[in-house]
Amino acid sequence: MAEQDAPNPQTASPAAPSGPPAAGGPSGPRPGGRPGGPPRRGKRGFVRKKKVCRFCVDRVDFIDYKKAEVLSPFVQERGKILPRRMTGTCARHQRWLTVAIKRAQNIALLPFAAEL
Amino acid sequence: MEERLYDLIFICRPDTPEPDIDKLISTLEHAATEKGGKIEKNEKWGRKRMAYRVHRLREGYYVYLVVRSSHGEVVKEMERRLKVSDAVIKYLTVRLDEELKRQDKLKRRRERRAARRPKRTAVAATAGSEPSAATA
Repeated sequence: MAEQDAPNPQTASPAAPSGPPAAGGPSGPRPGGRPGGPPRRGKRGFVRKKKVCRFCVDRVDFIDYKKAEVLSPFVQERGKILPRRMTGTCARHQRWLTVAIKRAQNIALLPFAAEL
Repeated sequence: MEERLYDLIFICRPDTPEPDIDKLISTLEHAATEKGGKIEKNEKWGRKRMAYRVHRLREGYYVYLVVRSSHGEVVKEMERRLKVSDAVIKYLTVRLDEELKRQDKLKRRRERRAARRPKRTAVAATAGSEPSAATA
């Protein structure tokens, strides 16, 4: 693969001055671009970083409602519980998390809603 | 009937003197033992800022108890006493034994998997080393 890609920028760079400057190689890799690896396909291939469940990483089996500092990153400033799509928490841990947050709210460790 | 484990947190007014809180804890302890329960742990978290105002108070004195009992009467009696007490502004009882059981189960399962895993990681390591050898 690397041997096939190596001549590609060399052929592309002499071609660029001869051709119109506006069309600077729509699909070909730019000469000053990345030296190795496959050519990038335009701007469309924007890769979102995959979120990982924080509790799965730490191998959490039980989310303690007494530790408000653990729960607070999953609560908005206004008191809303953040959805899974924002935090990347897995379904099982989100289920435990909501229960823990609601318990913490009941004993005034976390707010139900922001105060004025 | 199997034993149940409860968390009991209550919040006192911040201006209650420490001896009063100690007295309250000891009466609760007494009530629990009378009904056949047992207080396994008592922790005084002390004055903490509450997340919202309760009875127009911003702070509260948190006390945390772990109660073990075989029937609900113990919790009922303790909650009644907390309700009657003037110093207590908020309390919460949470039954925890089922969640701890689940936690234990998951832990055991993971340990079993970890015991089985060494073979698989060894295979993965050899598989990972092969492509690098091919490129080099």
